[in-house]
Amino acid sequence: MEDGYKMETLWVTVRDTFRYKGRDGQWLWALHRITGLGVFFFLILHVADMSLVYFDVPLNETLIALYKTPLFSILELGLAASLVFHAVNGVRVALLDLRPELWKKQGLATRLSLAITAVLAAPTIIIMIIYTINADILHASTTLIR
Amino acid sequence: MSSIDLSSRSSHRDIRRPVRAVPAVQNKFERIAWLFTRYSGLVLVFLALSHFGLQHIFASVQDLTLQSTIARWGTVGEAPNFTIWFWRAYYALLLGLAMLHGLNGMRQIAYDYMHIRPLYYGFMGLITILVVFVTVAGAVALGMGVSAATTSTISPAIQ
Repeated sequence: MEDGYKMETLWVTVRDTFRYKGRDGQWLWALHRITGLGVFFFLILHVADMSLVYFDVPLNETLIALYKTPLFSILELGLAASLVFHAVNGVRVALLDLRPELWKKQGLATRLSLAITAVLAAPTIIIMIIYTINADILHASTTLIR
Repeated sequence: MSSIDLSSRSSHRDIRRPVRAVPAVQNKFERIAWLFTRYSGLVLVFLALSHFGLQHIFASVQDLTLQSTIARWGTVGEAPNFTIWFWRAYYALLLGLAMLHGLNGMRQIAYDYMHIRPLYYGFMGLITILVVFVTVAGAVALGMGVSAATTSTISPAIQ
């Protein structure tokens, strides 16, 4: 934040994130930031809508109904992947920061981070897709009966 | 921020320079924030993933109704039993840790990308006010329970 740095724009910082050849660790760092931002944005929204069970029940039910729409079901898959990645990669960051002797294994830690994310996120997303499809079938069949 | 004397650093070409110990952070607040992010993160792995699993793997978003919320948070005026105290404590811990963890992460990102000082402070001021407002609202709802006096407008009571 010295005077010299003021000229450096947001764009330069973002661009240099992609130019810097930090290899896989650099990409995990960028992903950790993006997923963290996304999860934090949803957290604020979600706490706000759930606090309405005390302050305004009808508005709460309107917002919860919105979460059950197909569009939000797709966004929900992004939330699942973001949350799982941020959690698994966060454990890697915390363990390596708190135990510097593990730095020797950081290549392995990077691959483990991605592998564990895939193993946890893939079945979660499949289960969530099945729930969404079933809900749509259920909804279609009840409309048919009516 | 103090200026860094680049001349004293080894050349970027010297890729074989030994890894040096990370210098101790002098700023007490930054030191606590750094440690908090790591330790709260390790706790949040269990809290946030268990919450997500309960809502999206062992149930679906379609099962989230006013009744399912009443089962965990209780209703206004009702004396909470052990189950309701358990879920209120669980969500209070999740709420507090997640909001502080997220706010500190937001601060790190804003600090890295917003180089104009008034922009950084203005942005973080607004975000902090929003987060405090939402967190207090969430804490009040957790402590009070669901307003059962208000009749449900969408989903009929599923017994």
